[in-house]
Amino acid sequence: MDKNNIANIATHLLLQTMAFHFNWFPRFRRYLRSDDGWINFSLGMRTETDTVEQCITFENGHVEVKGNIPEDVDVEMIFQDNAVLKSMTELPPNEVLNLILKNKLTLRGNLAYAQVFNFFISLFMKGKQIKMMRRQAARGTQEDCTAIPAGPAEKASPKKIQPLKAEKFDPGVRYLKDDPYLAAYRLEDFPRLNKFLDIHFNQMPAICHERPMLLTQWYRKNGFETDSSGNPWVAELRQAQAFKYLMENRKPIIRKDDLIAGTTSTKEIGVVLYPDTHGTMIWGELFTTPYRQLFPYDITSETIEILHHSVFPFWINRNMREWVRSNYDAPLCQSLDERFAVYFLWKTAALSHTILDYPKLLKVGAKGIIREIRKELKNDKQADQLKKDTLQAMILTYEGLIAYAKNLSKQAKAEAELESDRGRKAELTKLSEICARVPEHPSRTLDEALNAIWIHWVGVHMENTNAGFSLGRMDQWLQPYFAADMRKLKTRAEKKRYIKHAIELVGCFYMRCTDHLPLIPDIGNYLFGGSSSDQAITLGGVTPDGDDAVNDMTYIFLKVTEMLSIRDPNVNARYNKEKNSETYLKRLCEVNKNTTATPSIHNDVAVMASLEEFNYPDEHLRDWAATGCVEPTLSGKHLGHTNCMMFNMVAALEMAMYNGHHPLMRWDVGPRTGDIDNGSFKTFDDFFDAFCTQLEFLMDNSCEYNKLLGEAHSIIRPTPFISGLISGTTDKGRDVTKAGALHNSSGTACIGLADITDSLMVIKKLVYDEKKVSMAEMKRAVKTNFEHDSALSAMVRNKVPLFGSGNAEAVEMANRVIKFVHDRFKDHVNFRGGRYTAGFWSMSNHVAFGTLTGALPSGRRAGKPFTPGLTPEAHASKNLLDNIRDVSRLEQSNMNNNIAFNVKVVPSAKESHKKAVENIYSYAKTYCDLGGMQMQFNVVSSQTLRDAMAHPENYKNLMVRISGYNAYFTTLNRDMQLELIERAEYGL
Amino acid sequence: MHTDTNTHDTALIFEVKGNSLDDGPGIRTVVFFKGCPLDCVWCHNPESKSGRTELSFEKDACIMCDACQHICTAHALDRNNPYYIDRETCTLCMKCVEECPSGALSAVGRYWTIDELVAEVEKDIPFFRTSGGGVTLSGGEPTRSMNFITSFLKEVSSSKIHTLIETCGLFDLQHFLDSVYPWLNAIYFDIKLFDEDEHRHYCGTSNRSILENFAQLSERCRKDGVELLPRIPLVPGITATEDNLRSIAGFLKRLGMHEIELLAYNPLWFDKCWKIGEKSSCENTMAMRQWMPAGQIEQCKVIFEGFDIR
Repeated sequence: MDKNNIANIATHLLLQTMAFHFNWFPRFRRYLRSDDGWINFSLGMRTETDTVEQCITFENGHVEVKGNIPEDVDVEMIFQDNAVLKSMTELPPNEVLNLILKNKLTLRGNLAYAQVFNFFISLFMKGKQIKMMRRQAARGTQEDCTAIPAGPAEKASPKKIQPLKAEKFDPGVRYLKDDPYLAAYRLEDFPRLNKFLDIHFNQMPAICHERPMLLTQWYRKNGFETDSSGNPWVAELRQAQAFKYLMENRKPIIRKDDLIAGTTSTKEIGVVLYPDTHGTMIWGELFTTPYRQLFPYDITSETIEILHHSVFPFWINRNMREWVRSNYDAPLCQSLDERFAVYFLWKTAALSHTILDYPKLLKVGAKGIIREIRKELKNDKQADQLKKDTLQAMILTYEGLIAYAKNLSKQAKAEAELESDRGRKAELTKLSEICARVPEHPSRTLDEALNAIWIHWVGVHMENTNAGFSLGRMDQWLQPYFAADMRKLKTRAEKKRYIKHAIELVGCFYMRCTDHLPLIPDIGNYLFGGSSSDQAITLGGVTPDGDDAVNDMTYIFLKVTEMLSIRDPNVNARYNKEKNSETYLKRLCEVNKNTTATPSIHNDVAVMASLEEFNYPDEHLRDWAATGCVEPTLSGKHLGHTNCMMFNMVAALEMAMYNGHHPLMRWDVGPRTGDIDNGSFKTFDDFFDAFCTQLEFLMDNSCEYNKLLGEAHSIIRPTPFISGLISGTTDKGRDVTKAGALHNSSGTACIGLADITDSLMVIKKLVYDEKKVSMAEMKRAVKTNFEHDSALSAMVRNKVPLFGSGNAEAVEMANRVIKFVHDRFKDHVNFRGGRYTAGFWSMSNHVAFGTLTGALPSGRRAGKPFTPGLTPEAHASKNLLDNIRDVSRLEQSNMNNNIAFNVKVVPSAKESHKKAVENIYSYAKTYCDLGGMQMQFNVVSSQTLRDAMAHPENYKNLMVRISGYNAYFTTLNRDMQLELIERAEYGL
Repeated sequence: MHTDTNTHDTALIFEVKGNSLDDGPGIRTVVFFKGCPLDCVWCHNPESKSGRTELSFEKDACIMCDACQHICTAHALDRNNPYYIDRETCTLCMKCVEECPSGALSAVGRYWTIDELVAEVEKDIPFFRTSGGGVTLSGGEPTRSMNFITSFLKEVSSSKIHTLIETCGLFDLQHFLDSVYPWLNAIYFDIKLFDEDEHRHYCGTSNRSILENFAQLSERCRKDGVELLPRIPLVPGITATEDNLRSIAGFLKRLGMHEIELLAYNPLWFDKCWKIGEKSSCENTMAMRQWMPAGQIEQCKVIFEGFDIR
């Protein structure tokens, strides 16, 4: 192809300009330097049409531009054609991301170098970029939202909501005898929490460099692959020593007026960076994150300098992706992930979905943990070297934890001395005593227990990515401390005061959890919109012995959840229909109505039944809790990585229609399963088989990548700290990344079930059963987005029974798909030797994957979101009960990584609060009676959501449930907002 | 007035609506029978008046594919006709409904057998149990099919679900007491206009037997423990007048009734008239086109409170 064209020349000139500035101006040149030497790499830019080919090389402070890209180029940017290349110069950085998502621009090679390049572009263009983003933000708020006609008279007079009172007492409720629902308490009674809420809603989060800086400094000094003497590091020991150093040297901060000590960063709300996984993905945005529309991050110029010169360069080749790329020669399974349209593997960012053994920490303290490990070291004469090293590493991390707590204690004492307010002085003195005692020693009081857990939690996030670590069954684990405190009190007044204190304390804990956010590069705002760290708490259910577990703390947690109404911690509730009471379930429904979105409700019996195939011991199984969104993990004993992949099942359907070709990726990547235009697929089953073959292909690849990433984690980031608090590791002498946990598995999230089922039903009915249209016509309609097929589109929508309409055949179809997915995943084994589980929930990927998928036989148009989780399509039925019945008919045993079933209900103005709660209760109870597994509500009308789109400033705290987690509606991207508005709405 | 009667085994029903929270206690399935002895000008379900199957056309749902025009042998479909269907010419063969891909053309009303209806209602028994709900017979006027509903209620009685009937009150009381009444847990009885002349003018017939039935039932229900709830549809300028409401209140108080339900006016029925080709005989005033404002509803409530009626 002739390279003497304008595009190629222009590109060359632009790159040359950049090179020129770097070569000749010190104020730019200095950005080529890092604490590890010069930043050296080559970056190629070309078009698929071969019109453009340029390569810019950075070598030892000198920049050169050539007209050909060498074989060993570090990273390539490949543009679909000249137009896309041109648009890159006109778009703000976040829109460039859209090009990547839409596969108009693909990246090949080390993505960190692409980030550096973007950073360099930003150096020159940041003024223009910021102006573009500001303009975009202004435009965004003027977007037109369809006005809807006024509905029936609502809120004639501001209705006074009469909160419910408990009708009976659960056996586990010993002390809240006045009213377990705690209706007498309101947020106004807790000014401290009000203050924290204010910060939460108004403070912009900021990128914090403390963690990555301290760690990188340590690694630079002590080595990463090899230590300072040149010997290869045992990764566990290296991580442990670095962790200890970090814990000893990070700033011990106590938030003003807090009752719980310690923070995850130095900022009020910090974005914590993990450069060994995805931290470098923000590099290109460092100058512009404060200006982006969704989830802007504040950043100081000091932080920018530190990250660019002293942190990120160290990690360019030391992260999970690059490890797999170089050790396994850029495998296909990785390339598929980096095209975004078929699956997303979470291990590139985190291996966090697990629940630690907090009862143990509270019972024996860090000291006790160390003692146990030492004992094992002493007793096991057969221990191999790795076991000795692993156990030694675990000990080091707990020493680090103790050191941090001691620093907090000192800090509290120093602040107490300077504090003039008597009340606060007393609180700080108490806090100092608490931190001197826990988590080193066993906890004795609720204050100690909550501080112990939080301080340990900080440690967890110093070692591991803050993406879905879950707090587990806090009501169960804290009850003994609450009870111990209560027993010491004599008078009624004392007890009442204490209950209020307990509520406030738990409230402080919740607010502590909001002090950090996961790093989401702007592209992530489209994939995981609105997500926070998703620290799941699970209430209720049964005890390990099988008794009713609902207790005082359950209701205190529910009260705090209701009062604060925040998105994180992500509260889940286990409802066991055999043991838990109506009183408890009613309260869950009331909290849902008042918060409009939480907690999600799990049918305890069904979830446990779904895990039967793994033969877990009963006491372990009964101790399950939700991780991240909804998935079950056996608390304290299990590394389930329950969100290892977000899997787009719909891609397989597209590939089956196009004989292995994926339309968006423009790639013939799948197996050849049959060409519709040549008359393949004589029967429906033929097509179904093709679909399954494509699914299999994608599943094989995703599991392959997951395995390789699992290996990467075991080498780059073993986690001795959390290994210290998960059963099995001490005996086996292995880190959890090396299968040290008692139970090991990997959990998947399979997305698009309803859309697939509906599409398959349409094909079966209209093409094969009734022969109203041919496969070729269907394919053509889908390919052209139904533009010329309005009759077919109408038929598809109105004449075919969909999943959720009460039709048995559609349910059978859904079950057929579920079974295949479950069985095929079952055949795979992960890096730790664990099995895969099949989940049917979607985070917010149903929107992301939807925007990357073309039209479907179900009538869904190109780019529209899929339904969340496995929720039926909005137009499947006017009757919510059809939805509920159909979802409850899905085979539990094949959905062993839980599901997300969204229900939007709108309380009617004329209904009393009591009646509205009773209605929600009826749905939830009946659903559980019918065997449904999980259900989550959005109790808000489309009208409110539309108003919130138009006037976000009035709705800062409007919370919605996406598919497994909560988010603030106004922080979501527009596609997600519209999806929520369009979800079927059932008037309560 | 239409006088079609139904056999024991089937009845003309135009909708069976599940998950209703507004037609009785708990979660309910509401069965809408087609055909009504009254002809109220404000009828919220104008498609329920006729005791025959009708053809409905929803303009907004039409995708203009003209499949219906090709199949219509009576040439009754014309885009120039604001109602689209010439109902004088249409033979109600329903072929166009079969052909219509979007469902813009649809049949209103089909015959259900008792077994079919029982199966449909019993689907939701788990929800009835949890919520204390059940089945509501409505329409139109369900008592036009007394034999059918009696057999139906007998069939579902073993499921022990709550049974409720919504009625305009114009029926043979003895027949009602002998057949349907024993199977009912609740009766929602509409009282629209107290003055007989007004009633004749706006509803098409006298209200004497309606009021008589109510008076007798109130005694009977009190004795048997069956819930009898009088309901008034509030229609601006017609039923929602001070005079009418006071008269009804007085009537109820004399019978010792202490509870009433006021149904706020909703304007959505105008569009329904278009769909079935009926010209709304009501005055097209502003008040009729809007949802009734809350203040007005409050005022009506106050009138009843004056009579000790909630």
